[in-house]
Amino acid sequence: MNVRVIVDEIIKFIKEEVGSNLAISALSGGVDSTTATVLARKALGEKVIPVFVDTGLLPYGEIGHIKKLSRDLNIPVKIINASNEFFRALKGVTDPELKRKIIGETFIRVFERIAEDHGAKCLIQGTIAPDWIESKGGIKSHHNVGGLPKEIKLKIVEPLKNFYKDEVREIARYIGIPEYVINKKPIPGPALAVRILGEVTPEKIEIVRKATKIVEEEMMKTGLDFWQAFAVLLPIRTVGVRGDIRAYEWTIAVRIVNSTDGMTANFSKVPWEVLERISSRITSEVPHIGRVLYDITNKPPATIEFE
Amino acid sequence: MEIIIVDNGGQYVHRIWRSLREIGVKGKIVSNTIPPEKAITSDVIGIILSGGPDIKKSGYSEDYLEYCIEHNLPILGICLGHQIIGRYFGAEVGKGSKGEYGSTLIKILEKKYLFEGFPDKISAWASHMDEVKDVPKEFLLTATSDVCLVEGMRHKRLPIFGIQFHPEVSHTPDGKKILRNFYEICRFKLFL
Repeated sequence: MNVRVIVDEIIKFIKEEVGSNLAISALSGGVDSTTATVLARKALGEKVIPVFVDTGLLPYGEIGHIKKLSRDLNIPVKIINASNEFFRALKGVTDPELKRKIIGETFIRVFERIAEDHGAKCLIQGTIAPDWIESKGGIKSHHNVGGLPKEIKLKIVEPLKNFYKDEVREIARYIGIPEYVINKKPIPGPALAVRILGEVTPEKIEIVRKATKIVEEEMMKTGLDFWQAFAVLLPIRTVGVRGDIRAYEWTIAVRIVNSTDGMTANFSKVPWEVLERISSRITSEVPHIGRVLYDITNKPPATIEFE
Repeated sequence: MEIIIVDNGGQYVHRIWRSLREIGVKGKIVSNTIPPEKAITSDVIGIILSGGPDIKKSGYSEDYLEYCIEHNLPILGICLGHQIIGRYFGAEVGKGSKGEYGSTLIKILEKKYLFEGFPDKISAWASHMDEVKDVPKEFLLTATSDVCLVEGMRHKRLPIFGIQFHPEVSHTPDGKKILRNFYEICRFKLFL
């Protein structure tokens, strides 16, 4: 891959697509959207307004991350808190596809409002190849593709749509994006909402946040290479015993996988000791969790995320 | 010079395109709803029939195969593409005794053409329920596994190849070599 040529082509593409309009750029702080945003700023300068939406569905530390990124890259970012809007839209929803579509639509409505405030006509997204491949194949609707509503007031510009994450990381490195962004583990657009099977509530989000932090912390300590490591809250209660007293509590599934591009993945053969530490920390530090399971399924036949 | 990837709706169609790009080969993804005479130009040196969810939705795939037979153009079927070739030449295609998903151990039976320079066994990724049940008369079995008999086959006289597993995904470490070998077959007309 000749990165220099590719970067020039992408910048040219963004200029052509956006023309003389103003654009907002959907920036989550992950490597895809950061790369798309930086390239868009290179192409159009201050005509591009980066927007970060706090959905209330994010893991710990994401807002701190976006503020640091904004400082380090010297790019102003509009931070919008839309968590009430997302929780309201998700109330009572249990079907995974419906969840994804509602989240996709809520994102777009938020972006449309901000675009209107600024007179912007385009939305730049960091969509990459697996997003539209899985949406098109009917596997799952990615929030930024198959999850989009039919009517959108903005022109969507996707400069990275023919690339995979490992390639995006190469582009990111070339244009000087800091390593902590490049190596950041992928978080799906719907974030923790697809790691809660069943209805999403702020309380359950908090449980998954805590558990995910433990999984990540313990994996970082090992120095092992992995693609993603996270926790999923299953709607299953099982019997336990705590201090001679019967317990009847919920279940967390731990998912740790290795992959190069997200299209195929294998579960990580993490040492038992690490899994043991993860399990005992989750059952003692996260309220209402009585059992921890480790997912030993590859992709295919499973996907990396549960929904 | 380019290789056409006939899109049968599989998850890894674009991944084939990317793998070709990585080895410096231009690929062009063409929907299977477009007939070969509209897609194949003088620039085209080979055809890949992609995987996909349903043999009933394989569109003009067989027409591409016929075009290749007629013009002696190399063709490689992957997963569903392999099954389309098998069915065309009279093999039975149907559900395997078990599905084959994820990592699988492939025994290479003929270290030539697609498998030029290969060891006896490779680890590969597969994702299928249906399979080619028997080797068609005009074909040779080139690869097999414990789960699925016909993991690889080739026509005895023509540059027609089928593989059941996926050479285009990163979890098939030797996959790129298969695509490169196919490219060399196309470029240097190595066959025959």
